[in-house]
Amino acid sequence: MSSTNTSGERKIVTFSLGKQVFGTDMSALIEIREWEEPTPLPSVAPYIKGVTNLRGTVIPVMGLAERIGWPASEIHSRSCILVVNIGGNQCGLLVDEVADIVLIKEEDIQPAPDMEMAENVICGLVQITARVTDGSQGEAGTMVSLLDLNALSLTRPTDVAA
Amino acid sequence: MSDELDEIQAIFFEECAEGLATAEQGLSAMAAGDVSAEVIAGVFRAVHSIKGGAGAFGHAALTAFSHAFENVLDEVRAGRIAPVPAVTAVMLTAFDMLSDHVEAAKGVAPTPIDTVALSALEQVLATGGTAVPQAPAPTTTAAVEEVDEFGFTPVAAVIDDLDPFGFEPVGIILEDLDIVAADASAEASGWTVRFAPSRSALANGSEPLLVVREVEHLGGSVAEVDCSALPPLRELDPEDSYMVWTLSAPGSLLEADIAECFDFVSPDSVIEITRAEPPATAKSQPVVMPLVEAFEATSPELQLDPAPAAATMPVVPKLDAPRSAAEPAAQTIRVELTKLDILLNLVGELVIRNSILTDRLTPREQQRVELPELARLTREIQDNVMSLRAQPIKQAFSRVPRMLRDLSVETGKQVVLETVGDMTEVDKGVIEKIGDPLTHMIRNAVDHGIESPEDRVAAGKPREGTIRLSAAQKGARILVRVSDDGGGIDRPRVRAKAVEKGIIAAEAVLSNEEIDQLICAPGFSTAATISNISGRGVGMDVVRSNVEALGGRVEISSVPGEGTTFTMILPLTLAILDGMVVRLAGQRYVLPLAAVVESVKPEPRQVQLMSPTREVIELRGDYLPVRRLGDLFGFVGSSRAPEDSLIIIVESEAGHVGLMVDTIEDRREVVIKSLDQNLHPIRGLGGATILGDGSIALILDVEALVGTAATAPQHALKGLAA
Repeated sequence: MSSTNTSGERKIVTFSLGKQVFGTDMSALIEIREWEEPTPLPSVAPYIKGVTNLRGTVIPVMGLAERIGWPASEIHSRSCILVVNIGGNQCGLLVDEVADIVLIKEEDIQPAPDMEMAENVICGLVQITARVTDGSQGEAGTMVSLLDLNALSLTRPTDVAA
Repeated sequence: MSDELDEIQAIFFEECAEGLATAEQGLSAMAAGDVSAEVIAGVFRAVHSIKGGAGAFGHAALTAFSHAFENVLDEVRAGRIAPVPAVTAVMLTAFDMLSDHVEAAKGVAPTPIDTVALSALEQVLATGGTAVPQAPAPTTTAAVEEVDEFGFTPVAAVIDDLDPFGFEPVGIILEDLDIVAADASAEASGWTVRFAPSRSALANGSEPLLVVREVEHLGGSVAEVDCSALPPLRELDPEDSYMVWTLSAPGSLLEADIAECFDFVSPDSVIEITRAEPPATAKSQPVVMPLVEAFEATSPELQLDPAPAAATMPVVPKLDAPRSAAEPAAQTIRVELTKLDILLNLVGELVIRNSILTDRLTPREQQRVELPELARLTREIQDNVMSLRAQPIKQAFSRVPRMLRDLSVETGKQVVLETVGDMTEVDKGVIEKIGDPLTHMIRNAVDHGIESPEDRVAAGKPREGTIRLSAAQKGARILVRVSDDGGGIDRPRVRAKAVEKGIIAAEAVLSNEEIDQLICAPGFSTAATISNISGRGVGMDVVRSNVEALGGRVEISSVPGEGTTFTMILPLTLAILDGMVVRLAGQRYVLPLAAVVESVKPEPRQVQLMSPTREVIELRGDYLPVRRLGDLFGFVGSSRAPEDSLIIIVESEAGHVGLMVDTIEDRREVVIKSLDQNLHPIRGLGGATILGDGSIALILDVEALVGTAATAPQHALKGLAA
């Protein structure tokens, strides 16, 4: 089940929020679905967009951009929901565009510099070579921020007033 | 106390019945040739647990016999005795004897004479199964007939037939062997106890350390602690129990004494009490061998060989038929909760599919495909599956009387308990989780609520305080109340304490309800002296967090001088709800039908502003408050004129209240999907449901919306109402 194999490689799915590329472990990904307006919830943090029906289970949909302190994503034709498993709970993440599935080496992951952030949701940085569809090798050096999904857990109410 | 004990004993006998059934099944399988490790281990476990329970309840004869039986099974399990048919036959006989012992322990039958069966077991044990007292084929047939007629064991028949075949000497010598075995076990090295508390032991109030200490009091010691189940720190739940203890206890103790220490640990804990294997088997071997030879010499036809063993085979099927049919034993089986959950979820899906079909087909088509019949069946399946998980809340209440007696002794306060509605059925998961909050609430009521007898008399109250424990179902919620007739919450003191502890600012203006809520604040405690009952400032905080973790909430009401009531409002998780689907600002919501009184299409001027934020509706001469659902939820742009809306009159603890919605869409049964499974509980919502078209409708919790929330909105929907 784990996407880490013996040679210390990991499969990640990359996606964009604005101009920035993020990645998360493939093993946590349940599915990618088209954006569909979720049912709004009262009295929840603004980044919780609502709930949606995932094959009979009610799952929350989170605006990932707002969650990590960026302006809310605008919905467009490539907006989609990454359904992920966070500690056994399912959650949908609204992202701007899903990019690719790439193999990264464990040793290439750098710890995220300790920066001024409300909470650390980035657990590492990695450089990838973007795959270009025309077959030529894309220019090296796209930085991918690896998300710490556990830091995004929704099962405890976060302080709305704060 | 004796009632409780009887109840626990009844559970033990139920477990005995289950254990016997398992053992019977396993032994029959063994007799039929399936001697796989699982089957043998299954029989061993069954007999082992009967022994354990019997020890705990002091059924000496049953304990002794099951112990002997278990010894043989243990050898078979370890592969030291081959489960050849003759050995299996002895075990089947022993099984019958075990059943009789259980009957005797129940008090419905006299204690059976088990010497022959015991001897047979001892002999198997002593000879490693190479020699067994084998009844010849004709006798066995006779025994079978007898069994059919009386539904009883062939043991008596075997006894009668022993003499003609010259078995007597063997029996006598086996008695000697008995002594050898007894000596061996008396000198045996100590007991080894493996104790793996259930994960939730701490939450259930069975602190493993206390149990370990109790064993130490008996002279035992901790031999080893296995911490391998400890998860990494970030995944560690400090309220879970992860460790496994291996304890050693002196061999001079009775097993029952050791077992007693574990009487009150939760049933899903693993407790294995074993004696370090005595070397008796090896020692006694030489003693027996000549006897066996003699025995073989005198009656060669009794020697172990496949043919007579095969002849005993017909004995096996009787184990299934007349015996079980004749006994009206408690017909229960244990099913893993996860299996029930899966079933419940599938039924939920079925219900949803059903409503999708109802949505999509015209009434005519529905008739043609007999959809109403399918719907009726679905509903019946659903009701039945739901009832599988429901248990009377009595289980959670049962430990309260005992606790109150202890508390009375400790505090010198006299308390009478009144219980109401203890047959209210609640989801099993909820019952398991309310035990802890309930304990805290009762303690709190005795320690802080009920006054001392002198103070009570001085206040003109009866000496004895009364605690009333009640449970009731209200719509999709279960209300569990603990009320006392004590002094009520001393609000000035609570307030002063909160200021002192820095929980609130000195100049804060608080309503009575807000002051009452302070006692649930973390680190709050007003007890002048810290007693060992409560007063450490964790109690009510724990209650609140536990109840909230269940998706419920705690409400407090108190009248100075008259008493305090704590109400746990808990969800009936995964329940089915009869609901009214209403529409508001493009979204659909479900109102529990149980809360709906009527719906009103208001005339112009029937709804009027009472203050800038409060509206009332005039209904047959009464004025009822009206709440706009859109306002309660803080949705903007839902300001329809009342004449274009519908007012649903709902019933809450605060009386009748009108809820303004856009339209009513439907009335239907919905499956409640909890929001806290993947999110957190949201006040005002009882969950969500999936409608026929796959979209989600939120289920409203009327009580939270218009009940106390209406009078104390500040801690209800904070931040959105503003």
